[in-house]
Amino acid sequence: MNMPELRQSFNTARAVLAGALALIFPTLAAAAAPQLVDHPRDLDFPQLQFDAPQRSQFRRELSSGVPVYMAVSKEFPLVTIRFAFKGGSYLEADGKEGLAQLTGSLVRQGGTQSLSGRDLDEEFDFLAANVFSSITQTTANAQVNCLTSNLDEAFALFMDMVRTPGFDPERVETFRAQAIEAMKNRNDVPLAIAIRELNALAWGADHFEGKMPTEQSINGCTIDDMRALHARIFNPANLIISVVGDFDESAMTERLEHALAGWTFGSPVPPIPAPSNDIAPGVYHSEKDAPQGQILIAMRGLTRDDPDSVPVLIMNQILGGGGFTSRITNRVRTQEGLAYTAGSTFSNRVDYEGLFLAYAFSKSVTTPLATRLMFEEINRIREEPVTDEELQTVKNQLIETFPRRFESKGGTLITFVNDEMTGRDPNFWHTYRNKIRAVTKDDVLAMAKKHLRPEEMMILVVGKWDEIRRGNTDTEDDPDRIATMDDFFDGRSTMIPEKDPLTLEPR
Amino acid sequence: MTRRTRLFTAAAALTLASGILTPQASAQHVSPEVVMLSNGMKFLLLPRDEEPNIIAAGWLAKVGSADEHPGITGVTHFLEHMMFKGTSQVGTSDAKADAEFRRQLSEVRDRIREAVVEEQYTRYAHGDIDNPWDKSVDTPNIRTLREQLTALEDAHREVIIANEFDQIYTSEGGSGMNAGTGKDFTFYYINIPSNKLELWTWMESGRLLDPSLREFDAERDVVVEERRQNLESSPTGELDERFDSMFWVSSPYAWPVIGWMSDLFSYTEDQVRSYFRTHYQPSNLVGVIVGDFDIAEAKPLIEYYFGRLVDTGVPTPTVMTFEVPLMGALRFEGECDCQPQCEVRYQAVPFGHKDEAALTVLADILNGRTGRLYKSLVEDQKIAQFARAFLDASRHGGYFSFSAGVKGEAMPPELEAAWYEQAALLQDELVSDRELQKVKNQSAADAYRALGSNSSLLFQLAIYECMESWEAINNRPLAIQAVTAQDIQRVARTYLRDDNRAVALYTRRAPDPDAAPVAEITLDDALEGMPADQAAMLRQVIPMQIQGLQAESDVSALESMVNQARQAMANAPDDRKKFMQYMIQEIDKRIAELRAQEAN
Repeated sequence: MNMPELRQSFNTARAVLAGALALIFPTLAAAAAPQLVDHPRDLDFPQLQFDAPQRSQFRRELSSGVPVYMAVSKEFPLVTIRFAFKGGSYLEADGKEGLAQLTGSLVRQGGTQSLSGRDLDEEFDFLAANVFSSITQTTANAQVNCLTSNLDEAFALFMDMVRTPGFDPERVETFRAQAIEAMKNRNDVPLAIAIRELNALAWGADHFEGKMPTEQSINGCTIDDMRALHARIFNPANLIISVVGDFDESAMTERLEHALAGWTFGSPVPPIPAPSNDIAPGVYHSEKDAPQGQILIAMRGLTRDDPDSVPVLIMNQILGGGGFTSRITNRVRTQEGLAYTAGSTFSNRVDYEGLFLAYAFSKSVTTPLATRLMFEEINRIREEPVTDEELQTVKNQLIETFPRRFESKGGTLITFVNDEMTGRDPNFWHTYRNKIRAVTKDDVLAMAKKHLRPEEMMILVVGKWDEIRRGNTDTEDDPDRIATMDDFFDGRSTMIPEKDPLTLEPR
Repeated sequence: MTRRTRLFTAAAALTLASGILTPQASAQHVSPEVVMLSNGMKFLLLPRDEEPNIIAAGWLAKVGSADEHPGITGVTHFLEHMMFKGTSQVGTSDAKADAEFRRQLSEVRDRIREAVVEEQYTRYAHGDIDNPWDKSVDTPNIRTLREQLTALEDAHREVIIANEFDQIYTSEGGSGMNAGTGKDFTFYYINIPSNKLELWTWMESGRLLDPSLREFDAERDVVVEERRQNLESSPTGELDERFDSMFWVSSPYAWPVIGWMSDLFSYTEDQVRSYFRTHYQPSNLVGVIVGDFDIAEAKPLIEYYFGRLVDTGVPTPTVMTFEVPLMGALRFEGECDCQPQCEVRYQAVPFGHKDEAALTVLADILNGRTGRLYKSLVEDQKIAQFARAFLDASRHGGYFSFSAGVKGEAMPPELEAAWYEQAALLQDELVSDRELQKVKNQSAADAYRALGSNSSLLFQLAIYECMESWEAINNRPLAIQAVTAQDIQRVARTYLRDDNRAVALYTRRAPDPDAAPVAEITLDDALEGMPADQAAMLRQVIPMQIQGLQAESDVSALESMVNQARQAMANAPDDRKKFMQYMIQEIDKRIAELRAQEAN
């Protein structure tokens, strides 16, 4: 279809449509027929008023002091009750790596005092109840979702499971064996290798974010260890409950009071430890026979509640966090066609500084060029102010998409539970859009200079190093686009040996 | 704005009676308003109150990789990418110059294609090169053309506003804009604030009316990287692709949605435009809007903006070739960096077939923690890490699949044998009432769960409408409830037959020879290719050094030597690599020796 044809059909369609509209919608034709504008910037939209909900609208407390968030929705005869606990894999003792993950699964999978794992599954499945439990790095969760009509039975089983899980020895054995089986696949996916090595380099082998289970550590996790970790985390001292769906508030409060009666409060879990490791700048590479180089560029970032976190968010949206409307994606993907995925993120932590991460996956020969372009964009945003349009686009985006955070009742409660658990200022969401509006181009420049420090960054590359290192010397017709890995850190690099998947020892 | 929910005209709960859940016939009923434009484009409008201020909107083109043919495989997906490039007005600061650049670029691109076909395909056929599209083996003629293309692209960039189509949505609060391409359909979707429905109708009708195919070559490279990232970097990706291709004998499902690599490099703008013209006619499109909006406000916008699309009157071609019976058991064995695993796949039924519900329930009986596969293969026999079954029912055909990954020392053929026992059981004995009721209970509850978000409703309405009719959203849960134990036995006997299956067995590839050399390297191997005087010197010195390793008994010191040597090897000239490998081999031997002593 060439352009003149298009223009033709465009005009014809307009003429035909004007007539059709007048026939079909005689009243609309005058009042509501839109005016065709040349560019969407000329469209006018009605104002949309949105006020962020208040945490206190949803929050109650049981007589024991356990917080409960509730939101009723009668759309479906379904109800979800979620127990969130403080505590996570950061509580694992050295040599017990993997204990939290195993315990988290087995609370659900290991039956109760009176039912085997298999029998409990049978009950839940017949009731069509979806039930799960997990322990992540810093939180634990247990949740039941079922038809309102089955809530009595399903919730009674759920409470047995949460308070007195069975840790059925057969199931424990199955899950240990599965964890070890899964480890055998550790070197199969190039990105999985990259993330593992990044964590080790960024957090250090003595920090819970840098540690990984091994065959030995999984085999060392006993049922007694699981019971102890369960008791430490799954008790009312660490608990926040949320309920969403089709239920009656006062009946639900009564149900929860009854279900928690006599459940002993433990001592609150200790604070989450910060890493002691510093990121050593430089190029690191790990060998993998793969069609692309995985490029991860990282440096220490900032904490969630750092006052800089909002202007840094805007800066990073422009740099590489805003999808197609960001510089790294635009340059590496759209303009140069070097990668399908390329971007950057500030992954903030609540208790210590998180990570800045820029990433791209590109065929071996263009891995160095993609890396160079990412650094060019990092340097550009440190050296020149962003444009008014870039800033305005990102500010509009963050303000206009803000209601999505509260679009579903379930999502709203998860946000509030998480905020309370991590001690976030209850006014945070109410001042959020004003903080966004206040950010200037100077702020963005200052944030980039302060929080992006290329000399402190590590570059991790996973792939076929010989090909990657050499770059596109043989394939590129434009001399300005030729790049090799020797262009970074004076050509010095550190090899990370391949690891045995079960021991994580170099092999 | 006041709104009313159209989602449920009858919402009766499942009732609990003596331990059996009895779903009522009209447990849920989704009833969108259907709007048919005069150009043949159909819209499904479903206001919903539950998620205030948000609309999920999308449109689907009833075109997928099944509509392609060899030579243009993957073009449906490539066109989907190109649909984000904007229009002749959106995405450029100078529409006239932009059009002229695109014309010149197409000319050079076509000349490159012609040259590759004439020069490189011949060299390839003669065995002189491995890949006609590999830039490192370009002929001087092709290299010159590529330089022209690069220079034009760089100049073109001066008048391109990159990703403006995305930027407009982003700036107005659009989120999650994306599209997906499958075997049967291409679907474009986004979430937008409730007050911006006109923006969506402007943008989407705009790109359908007047799509710009700018940045053609860079986007081709993006799709090539997508193939490398999502398919080739996946442990089983390439083997799965070959197995698929073997399984579908006559059906156009035989090639991958993303396309064969050689085809990706070869598309021309004419091919892509002609494909667009043929398959994106309004009568082949379905629009869906779900969320916080009023039908009375939406209708005139849809009529006005999408009404601009012209129906050419030429019927859209449909897939004519249906699948032939396998008439025998096929077998595919391969190696990858993957967990050893097994798939047994049977020809089954397309979407909407009368046996679809029974095959779905059959899979449900097998799946889940209380399903037969987990109990038997994972827990009782302890030979599987995971095991699952599913029915894949597409528009023009379908299959039933069993797959499992090994645990411990088990091998894939054991999984295969265990599956045949399960299949025989389903054929020989009726499933129990309780098993059947359990999966029906779950299916009834899941039918509600599937309606709980705008985007889930959007996807289901659009895809069901493409496959058969949007009314499947209401009818399928009822069909599941009607399945009997006899139905399950019947479909097990009909479809799970030996002459109707293909089996894939994957085993783990042996480690890379660099990491663990297969044959031991001798000192002579290691010194080959070095200057004679240097080799003579090393031939004397090295054996002494190797001898010296015996004095070292600290494993970690030896390991750090290996690491240093590996690094040095990465930086070493080619003729020294073998030598470095030899040294690593000798140090590794000493490490193994020390470890063995430690173990005793």
